[in-house]
Amino acid sequence: MIFLLRRLGFYFAAFMVAITLNFLLPRLMPGDPTTRIFASLRGKLRPEQLDVLREAYGLDGSLLDQYLNYLWALLHLDFGISTVHYPEPTADLLFYAAGWTLFLVGVAIALSFAIGILMGIYSAWHRGGFFDSVFTPINVMMNAFTPAVVALLLWYAFTMQWTIFPLGRAHDINLTPGWNLASAGNIAWHAVLPVLSIVLVNFGSWHLGMRNTMINLLNEDFVVLARAKGLSDRRIRNRYVARNAILPQITSLALSVGYVFGGAFIAEVVFNYPGLGKFTLNAIESRDYTFIQAQLTLLTCSVLVANLISDVCNVVLDPRLRRAGGH
Amino acid sequence: MQTFLTNRKAVAGLVILAIFIVMSALAPILAPHDPYRRAGKPHVQPGFEHVLGTTRQGKDVFSQLLEGGRTSLTVGFIAGISATLIGLGVGISAGYFGGKIDEVLTFFVNVVLVLPAMPLIIVLASFVEEASPTIIGLVLAVTGWGWTARTIRTQTMAIKSREFVLAAELMGERKWRIILREILPNMSSFVVGGFVLATIYGILAEAALEFIGLGSPSSVTWGTMLYWAQRAQALQVGAWWEIWPPAVAIMLTGAALVLINFGVDEITSPQLRAARIGGRIKRFLKRRGRSVDVF
Repeated sequence: MIFLLRRLGFYFAAFMVAITLNFLLPRLMPGDPTTRIFASLRGKLRPEQLDVLREAYGLDGSLLDQYLNYLWALLHLDFGISTVHYPEPTADLLFYAAGWTLFLVGVAIALSFAIGILMGIYSAWHRGGFFDSVFTPINVMMNAFTPAVVALLLWYAFTMQWTIFPLGRAHDINLTPGWNLASAGNIAWHAVLPVLSIVLVNFGSWHLGMRNTMINLLNEDFVVLARAKGLSDRRIRNRYVARNAILPQITSLALSVGYVFGGAFIAEVVFNYPGLGKFTLNAIESRDYTFIQAQLTLLTCSVLVANLISDVCNVVLDPRLRRAGGH
Repeated sequence: MQTFLTNRKAVAGLVILAIFIVMSALAPILAPHDPYRRAGKPHVQPGFEHVLGTTRQGKDVFSQLLEGGRTSLTVGFIAGISATLIGLGVGISAGYFGGKIDEVLTFFVNVVLVLPAMPLIIVLASFVEEASPTIIGLVLAVTGWGWTARTIRTQTMAIKSREFVLAAELMGERKWRIILREILPNMSSFVVGGFVLATIYGILAEAALEFIGLGSPSSVTWGTMLYWAQRAQALQVGAWWEIWPPAVAIMLTGAALVLINFGVDEITSPQLRAARIGGRIKRFLKRRGRSVDVF
């Protein structure tokens, strides 16, 4: 309990640092949204009107005033109005994009985790065997493979060479997504390649992580004791070794789940997927402060929450933490 | 060092990496054409005139590959070295001095670890419009030192309680001298491991940033080569030679570094090395009709 309270304190402090950064970073970038709009209208806007625009976007006043306003708005979950997609509220855009990203990257991470962990258990248990000696080096290579190339090649092979999958987007243009079978099928069909492109570069590190942790555990005394007690291999593998080896993997899983909201920039760019990555890039290009801030805030919160969940999981799964109450 | 050189994986990685470093260091001499200028017709197939063909803009791919290696490896190493130095400094100070210093530093390490790196890098990189490769390298270092710092801190705390450090302290050695002479040499494998990982991260992240168009498109790196290849729809028009060379180069460099890291890992935790020998013993005994399940 003390352990969790200490962590909660840390997460709050980290949250404050993060949202302050989220506020400062976009403002430190050269150019602001209003000058972009001013430039894009090519002189149709008088300088006085620019001031009005600044005021409307809450960009007037000192940096401290703006910061306090920002904190106050944040407290009310008010993310402001997008300066690019005016007058659309930023929150609407954000949740639209977040929905697609959550689906795309969520499925991809779940798949790579499951595949990687199972492969890791198998190859650690049959160390030096055929499977281990073939897949471990392959995964080393996949680990080093650039996501960009994997995505491009998949895209080229399956949409250009063999026109099996659609060229991009999350669903057909004339389809209005809804909770029905036809719609779900269409969306799933569009997601196959982007998901595959993320899974291919990711499952290797789960495999390697699980394999190495398991190998280290196999030589521990408690495993030797379990063998001496004559427990079945299956039980030793699943209940003794795998269960312990999965702890550090869960911590990293929590982290990557947090990163879901970072968006899969490369997959989204290559497959023209309407997720957070694509929206963020557009927002950065057009200096849409409100969207960048909102996106970074969403991301920070999700990473922190994911970390908190992993802490709780660890406390539940690892009795030592419960008893010690410290780090 | 000797154990390192007898490790096959590490040696293979070192050899591949060395080839890339030498080739890109000699780029100005080896490159047959100016990588920044038009050298022939657009999308010429690989052949006698252009070893790896030309890009849509008629630039020589082979020359670009060499020149790109220069920038990409430099960015990777800048990121790797800076991240390792920051991590080392923070980690050792936190681990050795302990107390309040440790608490404050550990807080920052945890914040860096928890903050989402990639979007932060993207925002940071777009600070400067068309960020140069060096700036990208430094930005990557700022966000990538957390893990090194954490490992080094734990390691420092372990070494700190050993007899020889205590002896040095009792002899009244100065603190920075103890850190440099007693503690640092005992952490070389962790430092190398952290450096290798930070460098891989640097090279891959740079390529990703350039690919989504956040670098400076006028510079020649493996990342911008991929960016232009995608922009020129190289695959659609069948110009595979515009995509494959930078892709394979990034992959091989990454794989080389991963292999080196494997070597370092096997040296620091002997169980992983025993795995190979264990497999051999097992096979040996199996051939004699015996099965063992010790390893």
